[in-house]
Amino acid sequence: MSSLIQVKNVTKKYGGLTANNDISFDVGEHEILSVIGPNGAGKSTLFKMISSFTPTTSGEVLYRGERISNLKPHIVARKGVVRTFQETTIFKSMTVRESVVVAQHLRAKASLAGYFWGSRTAQDDVAAFGKYADELLEFLGMSEIANELASNLPQGNLRALGIAIGLATAPKVLLLDEPFAGMNHDETMNMVNLVRSVRDERGVTIMLVEHDMPAVMSISDRIVVLNFGEKIAEGTPSEIQNNENVIEAYLGSADDEIGM
Amino acid sequence: MEQILANGVYLGSQYAMIALGLTLIFALMNVLNFAHGQMYVIGGFVTYTVYGQLGLPFVVALVMSCVTLAILGALIEKFLFAPVIKGSAREESTMLLAAGIAFFLDALILIIFGEKQRGVPKIVNGVFNYDFRLIMPYDRILICGLAILSIVAFIGLMQYTKTGRALRALAQDRTAAQLMGVNVDRYSMIGFALGAMLAGLVGGLLVTITGVNLGMGGPTSIKAFMMVMIGGAGVISGAIWGGIILGFMEAIGLAVLSQYGDITYLLIFISLMIFLAIRPQGLMGKPWG
Amino acid sequence: MGFSSKQMMGLGVFLFAIFVGVPLLIGATGRWDFYFTLTSVALLAIASAGVWLTFYIGRINIGQGAFALIGAYVSAILVVKAGWSFWLSLPAAGLFAALVAVLIGLPILRLRGVYFAMITLVLTQVVTLTALALPITNGAKGISNIPLPSGLSLFGIPLIPDFGSMENTKLAFYLTACILMVVTYAALYRLVNSRLGHLCRSMQQNEELASSIGVNIAYIRIVIFAISSFFGGLGGAMFGSIAQSVYPSSFQVADSVNFMLNCFLGGLGYVFGPMLGTLVLYFGWDLLFEFGKYQMLIYSTLLILIIRFLPNGLLSIRFSKGDKS
Repeated sequence: MSSLIQVKNVTKKYGGLTANNDISFDVGEHEILSVIGPNGAGKSTLFKMISSFTPTTSGEVLYRGERISNLKPHIVARKGVVRTFQETTIFKSMTVRESVVVAQHLRAKASLAGYFWGSRTAQDDVAAFGKYADELLEFLGMSEIANELASNLPQGNLRALGIAIGLATAPKVLLLDEPFAGMNHDETMNMVNLVRSVRDERGVTIMLVEHDMPAVMSISDRIVVLNFGEKIAEGTPSEIQNNENVIEAYLGSADDEIGM
Repeated sequence: MEQILANGVYLGSQYAMIALGLTLIFALMNVLNFAHGQMYVIGGFVTYTVYGQLGLPFVVALVMSCVTLAILGALIEKFLFAPVIKGSAREESTMLLAAGIAFFLDALILIIFGEKQRGVPKIVNGVFNYDFRLIMPYDRILICGLAILSIVAFIGLMQYTKTGRALRALAQDRTAAQLMGVNVDRYSMIGFALGAMLAGLVGGLLVTITGVNLGMGGPTSIKAFMMVMIGGAGVISGAIWGGIILGFMEAIGLAVLSQYGDITYLLIFISLMIFLAIRPQGLMGKPWG
Repeated sequence: MGFSSKQMMGLGVFLFAIFVGVPLLIGATGRWDFYFTLTSVALLAIASAGVWLTFYIGRINIGQGAFALIGAYVSAILVVKAGWSFWLSLPAAGLFAALVAVLIGLPILRLRGVYFAMITLVLTQVVTLTALALPITNGAKGISNIPLPSGLSLFGIPLIPDFGSMENTKLAFYLTACILMVVTYAALYRLVNSRLGHLCRSMQQNEELASSIGVNIAYIRIVIFAISSFFGGLGGAMFGSIAQSVYPSSFQVADSVNFMLNCFLGGLGYVFGPMLGTLVLYFGWDLLFEFGKYQMLIYSTLLILIIRFLPNGLLSIRFSKGDKS
């Protein structure tokens, strides 16, 4: 498996505080890789650095050998590495379909001026966006709520909307921020299946940050474990489950959370 | 040089008080009080009326300025800002309301006090003269001292009293303060009244030096905005720093640049833009206020 | 992007009303002074359209007075000192205002919410002070005796007649202002309903999410602020030409605040909101003239009451919700 994303010796310091220390790992093409760790382990910070929402203090992140860290978020998105957010980050007063249409703007062939004057290409774009939006929403099982305002959606749908917005950009790599947080068992299983089908049917490489151990164990090809900003383990779910460092890190507070 | 420093301290202490009131209101309710300058002008006119016209002692006039503005502030908060904040879909509506209130107070001042420049008799006579290097009328020194005293008193109030602690809790996190049992509605009103009172107090102090007129409101608000941006919105130490810095910049600008025409404010604005480009949250502010 | 027949009807009625109805009505009643009022409304509505556009990317712009003043001075200087035709100076004024907006926007557009509002307000004051201080703007004396717009012809075909040779320039200015306003709002409507408009909406609602889907938010902010200021410069330049003079006090902080109020009052969700807001505020102000010194008091009281009881704008009464324009 060739590696699509390489995280190389990434360190992040906030003042005297080290959020991530010298983290390195690779993400292979068509892989589902999860980053887990107790609260405050530096998972979110790592995510922000990969999507260039925050600069690294040292080290770099490569996508197909090209640096994507310390750039601007929109440039990283244009290269095909797109992150999602937790449920509060949505376009509140757009409908589901409108959100998915606007998220396709990277695929636009016509210029902004072309749209203003209503050129042929722009009209084609608009038609193509609508078609793709309908197709994508169907794929995600969201056709029925396509014309609902985002602010009226229940929590579970918001998470799916976030993924729909991310997918609409036609990403090569999708970074999911806690996709299972706050979900019950059934909802989690639905989401696991959805994420898996995004990888299997759309060929999108997936990286996710998560707390929910059973879900992570069932969905991931490989897992990276962080604790206090350090990488303490990396491997397949079964390797991680038997890793002594990991067990120690989760011991006491989180035996039940791991659910072994 | 000494003269510029003294002028800077004098201007800075006045400005800091204006900025304190504005920043307090902003911190508590996320309201940009456009009418702050008008409140300052009203404070000036009240002192002018009580001290200059009725001939009562200056201290009584100052107290009257404070009381008037505190009541005005409380009423504005209770009957206008509080319901609009609750009922509006966009938080910008409060800005519109604040602008409406600024117009309203301007109109009120015009009707009650007229548009003439008004001054009051000097509260103390004489001029402090140190070897012609530092010249400062005694009344300015007194006013400057009173302003610094008020700032210290305000900080003490915020730090050591129950009201102050409640206000600070409210400024930090509205929801958390509510959970802790702070009566949010009541303290929002108190905070607004306090902020308005500070504006009125400076107005009352400064009427003895610069006099007061209708047109001073708008420019005063604008200066207050600049100070708050320099120091960081919603932060008390920031307001004080902002006031001192703007005071000094103005004092230096007036002394050094006077022969080039009135470009002090253009330069201050350009430096402010450069500063904000580097530090958008101001000196002491949290990112994005 | 088709129009419904109802929308086409509405547009037709509107165009007929301003280009035929109003002149007929004024001709019949002899109230020629209304031309000046309506011309002002049209020009202020152009500047307000710019402010509305910055609202559309989630920025509260209280600096339009600055750009209107810049536009007025640029046009006046070009016409008076460089001998340009007014019709050339008009776009030049808009472009210059846009250029200033780009330069100022680079640092300040990173600011959000109240910070942006405050600094744009300060900007108005600073431009006024600069106009007082600079030699080219002639200080407090301003630039007066600006000649009326000369005629314009292309390849010998007269496009615009010479205003100086007209008996009554009021109608000519009114029609010019209305044409400018119609073009401005048509452009604004087009923009809002094109891709740029959708990207603006995405930024207005969540800048982080917008940048995560590849929107270059810094670039779009600058583009929008430049367009907004172009409208401001255009409106200001035209105003100067009608008044035949520009002073540092021609556009002040109160004007900047009024542009913002026009947008709020009309409703920020509706493209034509600022036009309605301008009309209502300006006419409201004019109608209250009879009350003399109580004019401002009544005006501001009404304003406060409207905000207190209709915090989402005048158009919010008619439409239940959503932006269907």
